[in-house]
Amino acid sequence: MFLPITLLLYWAVGFKRIKAQNAILLLASYFFYGLWDWRFLLLIVASSLVDYFAALAIKSTESNGKQKLFLYSSVLWNLGVLFLFKYYNFFIDEFAVLFNMQQGEYAFSTLNLILPVGLSFYTFQTMSYSIDVYKKRIEPTRNLLNFLCFVSFFPQLVAGPIEKASDLLPQFSKKRSFKTEEVKEGLRQILWGLFKKVVIADNAAYIVNMVYASPEDYGSLSLLYASILFFIQIYGDFSGYSDIAIGSAKLFGFKLSKNFNIPYLAKSVTEFWQRWHITLTRWFTDYVYFPIIQKNLRSNIRRNIAIFLTMALIGLWHGADWTFIIFGGFQGFLIILERTPLSKERKSSLYHKSAIPKILLPFFSFLFITISSILFRSQNIEEVGIILKGIFSFIPSEHLASIINKRFILFLFIMIALEVITRIKDFPLTQIDKYVNRPTRWIIYYILIFLIFRYAGPKEDFIYFQF
Amino acid sequence: MPGPKRTLSIFSFSKTQKRFLKYCLGFFIPVIIAYFILELLVLNIPINYKVFGTYLDTHSRKIKVMALGSSQMKCGFNPALSDENAINFASTSQHHNEDFQILKGTIDRLPKLKYVLLEVSYNHLELPHHPNDYWKNTIYLKYYNVNAFERPTWFKDRLVYLSNPRFYSHKLMDYYFYKTDHSQLNEYGFDINNYEGAFKKLNYDETKIASHKFKIIDREDTAIFKKNTAYLFEMLDYLQAKKLKVIVATLPLYKTYLKERNPNVVQRRDSVLSVIKKKYKNVILLKEETDTLQFTAKDFLNENHLNPDGAKKFTALVNQKLDSLN
Repeated sequence: MFLPITLLLYWAVGFKRIKAQNAILLLASYFFYGLWDWRFLLLIVASSLVDYFAALAIKSTESNGKQKLFLYSSVLWNLGVLFLFKYYNFFIDEFAVLFNMQQGEYAFSTLNLILPVGLSFYTFQTMSYSIDVYKKRIEPTRNLLNFLCFVSFFPQLVAGPIEKASDLLPQFSKKRSFKTEEVKEGLRQILWGLFKKVVIADNAAYIVNMVYASPEDYGSLSLLYASILFFIQIYGDFSGYSDIAIGSAKLFGFKLSKNFNIPYLAKSVTEFWQRWHITLTRWFTDYVYFPIIQKNLRSNIRRNIAIFLTMALIGLWHGADWTFIIFGGFQGFLIILERTPLSKERKSSLYHKSAIPKILLPFFSFLFITISSILFRSQNIEEVGIILKGIFSFIPSEHLASIINKRFILFLFIMIALEVITRIKDFPLTQIDKYVNRPTRWIIYYILIFLIFRYAGPKEDFIYFQF
Repeated sequence: MPGPKRTLSIFSFSKTQKRFLKYCLGFFIPVIIAYFILELLVLNIPINYKVFGTYLDTHSRKIKVMALGSSQMKCGFNPALSDENAINFASTSQHHNEDFQILKGTIDRLPKLKYVLLEVSYNHLELPHHPNDYWKNTIYLKYYNVNAFERPTWFKDRLVYLSNPRFYSHKLMDYYFYKTDHSQLNEYGFDINNYEGAFKKLNYDETKIASHKFKIIDREDTAIFKKNTAYLFEMLDYLQAKKLKVIVATLPLYKTYLKERNPNVVQRRDSVLSVIKKKYKNVILLKEETDTLQFTAKDFLNENHLNPDGAKKFTALVNQKLDSLN
């Protein structure tokens, strides 16, 4: 009910009243966030204010030293909040393990803190705003309401896409007129996102959770199948969420960045990261990778270090655990291998490209990604070891037939087929009205709604909400 | 000249918006109607929770015993055979956190409540609790009027089909189309016809049962163990503060299942039971998990659940314990 009510209020005030529309959006966003835990509203407001004023302060002075000071204050605040809520306990625990200390033996103890939903997303968004103002890529806004809306815009607040201020912020100052076609597109994208989340991801999660709950009980093929399904689960879950977010934003007349571009078609790990969680990769490329390599684009060593560090940080962004750090580092390692020439003919070290037919390349990158997604799913390094050992010890899989659900495979095939066929579009249902008449369209929508209700998997939280 | 004042109402929509609203209503009204038909069909299915809820409403002033637990307790304790007026709130996969919410949410409605029968099964303490949005919370809200969400509830929290479409879709098909639902619930919500399990299919033949494959969770998790144990103690503290007598029970398991249990998990669970026995004066233990003398293959539905015959024996043992508490 939240979305229709907000939408009705938003359009009822009229498109000429931008301030009123933004105020409705802000209240709705804070209400939405407060539903989860109202205490963290204070944090999001504080983060917004810090960056709002830091950017204005940067603009107000000509002194580079002062500008740097304001920028560092903003970055320190953002990283500090992130560190406190997300990484503090991890580092304290690891420190204790490193020096073989028991609790109470060291000055700092772990804190009993809940990780605020969406912290990693909005922190990165606000931080990039201050950096962009400092780098003179954008002008700071003086409109506090618009800035608060930019940070807390509810469709993308809790799990992205991570928007650049230059893309999203100006949209809050522009008139948003009600365009029926755009709103219909938004609804279609929400419907498609729900299908991916509820029918694909949640059903995949059911099998994955079962197998990963007791991996010792399953054979090699079952473990491999569950690991592949985990990749599908996380894709359906996160890209489904992104579609819902982008679609919801369209209902309000906003355009958000594309976050996924059929990543399973990637012909290399490098390309995979250009297709997967695109806005996160873009953020790290702009604010971590490029600053590290600076102008030394030709320095292979520097570039490789930059790749490895960037990917390890992308891993760490996902969560405070070694599994995520190793996951990121492993991706970095694969990308470096891909980019490192074997010989003067500049062949990749990872693939003997000439030896592999082009059509098979996605399977190779998919294999690498699947293996590394084990790190993503496992609770700890020991579990990774159990799964990998299980897969590579070629134990017969007695339970394989029981975990393969033919109907789910059919739905998965339909999803992949539709996405691949319509790959040049944002999502399969886009501009469907150009191709089929209204009764046919409605039948398609009703079928999708039926599938969502009838074949929904057990309810699972969106995976990326925890980040 | 200033235009007429715009008011915040449906009338301030433009023609395009109004047309689109009509379009949406035309599209969504059939969906909403279809959904509510589904919801009504689901509510019409005679599931045990509904019977528990009705029994709770009609007998709340008489109930003296409350059973809580998972499917083992659900299958093992038949309130109809209890010497004291009882209600069995146990249900499949129900964990201690749900047990506690049900207890807290109903206790004020049960003025005569004296005893609580609580299950601590083999791996109860090493299985994670369900999150606050567990689908059964809708059932507890709908049928027992217990808010286990631990937050203000909304209209959608009462929609039963929506809480678990997968589960209820199967239920709907089984009940209305395939007619495969053979359950026969007594007035307490206990299924007196619950014999259709693996053991019946194997004709209770012990040789066949010995080679029958089943699933057992033998995973250890000491972090969850610590958390769950602390939670269990919190629950027992509450029961003690409420001056209720508690029977902490382990239910019978078939010998093939007993053999497959993880000894570390068993040992940790048993050590907790020993602590409970020493710490709480209001608690007595009913350890029947390894009772292979009284409970034979014919008493089991499958490796870890009793059938109604087994439930008869187990309920008799509960009656004995209740006598000893009096």
